[in-house]
Amino acid sequence: MKISRRDFVKTNAIAATATAAGITIPGIKQALAKGTDDIRWDKAPCRFCGTGCSVLVGTKDGRIVATQGDPDAPVNRGLNCIKGYFLSKIMYGKDRLTKPLLRKTAGKYDKEGDFEEVSWDEAFDIMAEKWKAAIQRSFEENKGKPVDKITSRVGMFGSGQWTVWEGYAASKLYKAGFRSNNIDPNARHCMASAVGGFIRAFGADEPMGCYDDLEHGDAFVLWGSNMSEMHPILWTRITDTRLTKPGCEVHVLSTFKHRCFDLADNGMVFVPQTDLAILNYIANYIIQNKAYNQDFIDKHVTFNKTPTDIGYGLRPEHPLEKNAANPGKGKLSKISFDEYARSLEPYTLEYTAKLSGVPKEQLLRLAKLYADPKKKITSLWTMGFNQHTRGVWANGLMYNVHLLTGKISEPGNGPFSLTGQPSACGTAREVGTFSHRLPADYVVKKKEHRDLAEKIWQLPEGTVPGKVGYHAVLQNRMLKDGKLNAYWVMCNNNMQAGANMNEETYPGYRNPDNFIVVSDPYPTVTATAADLILPTAMWTEKEGAYGNAERRTQFWRQQVKAPGEAKSDLWQVMEFSKRFKAEEVWPADLLAKKPEYRGKTLFEILFANGQVDQFKKTVVKDERGNSYDNDEMEAFGFYPQKGLFEEYRRFQHEGPKKGHEQGEFELYHQARGLRWPVINGKETLWRYREGYDPYVKKGEDIRFYGHADGRANIITAPYEPAAESPDKEFDLWLSTGRVLEHWHSGSMTRRVPELYRAFPDAVVFMHPNDAKKRGLRRGMVAKVVSRRGDIEATIETRGRNRPPEGLIFVPWFDAGRLINKVTLDATDPLFKETDYKKCAVKVERVIA
Amino acid sequence: MIEYNLCGVLVHAILGQVNQVRHQLESLDGVEVHETTKDGRLVVTVESGSRRYVADTISSLHEIDGVLSASMVFQFNDEIEPEEIQVQGEMPA
Repeated sequence: MKISRRDFVKTNAIAATATAAGITIPGIKQALAKGTDDIRWDKAPCRFCGTGCSVLVGTKDGRIVATQGDPDAPVNRGLNCIKGYFLSKIMYGKDRLTKPLLRKTAGKYDKEGDFEEVSWDEAFDIMAEKWKAAIQRSFEENKGKPVDKITSRVGMFGSGQWTVWEGYAASKLYKAGFRSNNIDPNARHCMASAVGGFIRAFGADEPMGCYDDLEHGDAFVLWGSNMSEMHPILWTRITDTRLTKPGCEVHVLSTFKHRCFDLADNGMVFVPQTDLAILNYIANYIIQNKAYNQDFIDKHVTFNKTPTDIGYGLRPEHPLEKNAANPGKGKLSKISFDEYARSLEPYTLEYTAKLSGVPKEQLLRLAKLYADPKKKITSLWTMGFNQHTRGVWANGLMYNVHLLTGKISEPGNGPFSLTGQPSACGTAREVGTFSHRLPADYVVKKKEHRDLAEKIWQLPEGTVPGKVGYHAVLQNRMLKDGKLNAYWVMCNNNMQAGANMNEETYPGYRNPDNFIVVSDPYPTVTATAADLILPTAMWTEKEGAYGNAERRTQFWRQQVKAPGEAKSDLWQVMEFSKRFKAEEVWPADLLAKKPEYRGKTLFEILFANGQVDQFKKTVVKDERGNSYDNDEMEAFGFYPQKGLFEEYRRFQHEGPKKGHEQGEFELYHQARGLRWPVINGKETLWRYREGYDPYVKKGEDIRFYGHADGRANIITAPYEPAAESPDKEFDLWLSTGRVLEHWHSGSMTRRVPELYRAFPDAVVFMHPNDAKKRGLRRGMVAKVVSRRGDIEATIETRGRNRPPEGLIFVPWFDAGRLINKVTLDATDPLFKETDYKKCAVKVERVIA
Repeated sequence: MIEYNLCGVLVHAILGQVNQVRHQLESLDGVEVHETTKDGRLVVTVESGSRRYVADTISSLHEIDGVLSASMVFQFNDEIEPEEIQVQGEMPA
C-alpha cells in the first residue's frame, strides 16, 4: 500500500529525529521503504553563524521545501538550532531585490535622486565611470612614489559571509587589478582581535584545537561568549558533556547574566574591561602557587612585554589619542620569567575581586581550576574578548594562562576562539581579504610575500601595493573626509553594523564626492543609503565554500536559481572586471614590464588567464547521479569556482609558510568538510602536537612552527581602563550584542515573519532597580542617550538577559532602533576591531 | 492544494522531569511525542497548516519547565492535497 505524502514526510521527520537522539523506532524503516518522494537532497553548510553545521537541503521543482540537520556531519550530528528552521525561508522574503537600482533624476544618475530600476549594463557603466575617475586621481597622487607608499581612492567592504572564491576574486581584483589595499571585511568587527592574538602568540592564525575538545574537556570556561544563544549546537555538545561526564564543570564569565548561566557551576558577572585583570590574576595565582609547567615553559615558550598606554584607535585629534604615551604601538620585547612574574604581582585576589566585582571565592575557584594539572580545560570566547579596545591583549592574556600550564594543543585542553560568521575564518582570514593581508597568512607589507602573490597571479613586479590599506573603521572616516571616493559594499550591512553611524558612517556614504555601491539580496539600511544597489544571489543559489571556526572547509552545490536578475557576488566581481583595460588601471612604467597585457581587460588578466579558466565547462553531478546548475560556469564558459580555488591553493603550497594546506577541489564536494592542514587527503585535529600535526616531527612533542624558533609567546599586558566609562551624567554602561532568533543585523532573519514575531523589536535589558530609579517599568518606552546619539526602545527587566545594576544590554538587529547611533567607534589600536561592548549612556523616560 | 508545515524536534529534558515535559508537550496543538529515552531525550513533531504556528511553537519549547534544549532536526514546508491533512493548529485562510 502506498502511503500519503504527508505520512511519508512525517515518517521521515520522526526517523531523522530519532536518529539524532541515537535511537531507532520500530517500524519506521519499513514505513519509509513503502514511500517515495521527488525531493532532491544534498548537503550545504548553514549560512548563519561560525559553527558550520551541515544541513541537508531538500529541493523540489526549483524551490527548497525541506531541510534537515545532516546526520553524517561531525559538527552537528543531525541537529540544527532554531535558525536552521528559517534557512530555506530567508531566500523567499517578499522584498527580495531582483533588479539593479540607481538613484536618478530626470533619467540621469543623481546622488539626491530616487532609486529606479536599471539594467546591469547601465549599472556597471556608471560604476566603471566613477571607478575610473577615482583611479585617475590616485594616478596623479602616486606619481613618483615607490610601491610601498601608494594609496588609492577606490575601496571595498566585504564579508565573512562571502564564499571562499568570492572573497578571493574580490581581493585579487582590488589588490592586483585596481592596486588598492582598501579592501576589508566585516570580520574586522568580530575577528580582528583574535587574529592579532594568534599572530602575536603563535605566528599563525586560527585555533590549534577543534570541536572534539567539547567532549574531551573536563571543564569549560566561557569568557565573553553567550554560546547558548549564539552557538546553540556547540552549547548542546557542552551540555551533553557536562551532564554525562563525572566531575565536569562549566564556568561562565560575562558582564551580565544570560542563558549560559543556567548550566554554570560558577557564573561570574564582572565590571566591563576587568577581564584583563582577572586573566592576570589567574596567571599570578598559577605562578605564586608554582602550578606552572616548568618543562613546557623551558621548551616551548618565550616571555615578552608589549608597549602600554596605547590609546583607543580614535581619530588622532581625539584627546584620548593625544594623551596616550604609545598610541597604536605593539612591538614586543623579550623579558625574563622573573620580570613576567613581577608584572603580575599587582593582580592579587583582593585587588582583582574589588576591581571586577566578582566575589573572591568565585575567582579563587576559577584560578584553582586552571592550576589543577589533572583538569583538561577548554576556554571559549567570542565578542566579549574580541570587541574590546584591548582585544588583542585579552586574547594574548588567555593564551598566557594556557601556555603557563601547558594546557594546549591536545584533546580537551586549549584556548578556543569561536567565530560569528560562517566564513570569517575560511574567507576573511584564510583568503586574507583584509587591508593588510594576502592569501594564506601572507601580508602586503613584506616584499617577498608580494613577490609570491605576483608570481602566482602572473603580474609584473611591483603591482601589489605595499602600504596597508584602510581598515573598516578607517574606511568610514576616509569616506567622510573625501579621500575614498568609489566604494563597493558587498554581503554585509555596515551602515547598521558600524559604530557611531551618526558621526562617521552616514556622512561618509552621503558625501557628494563619493559613489557608493551596495550588493545585497534585500533593501537593508546600508543598501538604501547607497547610490547604486545590485541584487544578489544568496546561499544555495550559487556554488559555495565556507570555512568554520575549527578550520573546517565545507562546499556546497547550487541548488536553486536566484530570483529575477539577482547575481552572485562572484559573477558581479568577475563581470565588472571586464570594464577595465590594463592601461586604465596601471601606470605606463608598470605595464612596460609586461607589454603583452596592453589592451587586455582585467577579466583577461586576472580570470581568463590560462589558470583560473583551466577547468572546462561541465555538468556538476553528485555521487547519486543528480545534476546541478552552476550559473557562473554558464555565464563565463569555464568552471570559475574550481579555477579560483586551485589557484588559491598555490599560495598554501608554494610559499615559505607551512600548515595552511587544503585538499583538492573535488575532495570537498564529497567530504563533510575537512580541517586544514589537509595533507595527502588527511585532516588535522590538533595543530602543533606530535602525532596529530604532520608538521611536528617525531620526538619534538610540540612545535609552534609559526615562529622560526618553534616557540609561542607569552606576552604580559596590564589592565587599562575602557575608552569611555560611566560618569555622573552618562551613568550606565551600554553593551550590545545579538539574540538567538536574529542573526547580526537581521537583514535576513527579520524578513521571515515568524522569526520577526519571536523577537520583534530590540529592547533595553535593564536591572529592575535601575528602571525604578528612573521612574521606568517593564514595557515602557525609554530613550537611550550617549554623547553621539540616541534611540528609543522598550524597557525589559525580565527575560533571558539580566544585567547587573549599572549596565544595560541592547541587541543590534533592529533596523528601526539603530543602537550604533549611540555606540562609540573606539577600536583596539593594534588590530582595529571596534569595542561594541562598552560606552557610557543615560536612560531617560519618554514623556508621551 | 494546501500549505503543510512540519518540524521534527529533539527535546532534551532534565532527568526526572521527562514525564512532566512529555505531558506539557502533548497538551500543545499539533505536537506529538513519538518516543522518549532513558537519558531524557524526546522525539517530537510539530505540525500545522501555518508556518507561524510551527515557528512560535518550537521557539516556545525552551520556556517549558524541565526542558534543557530543543534542537531542530527536520523541517518541511510545501503544498499538499487537502484530504491528506488533518492536523490541529491554525489553518491558513
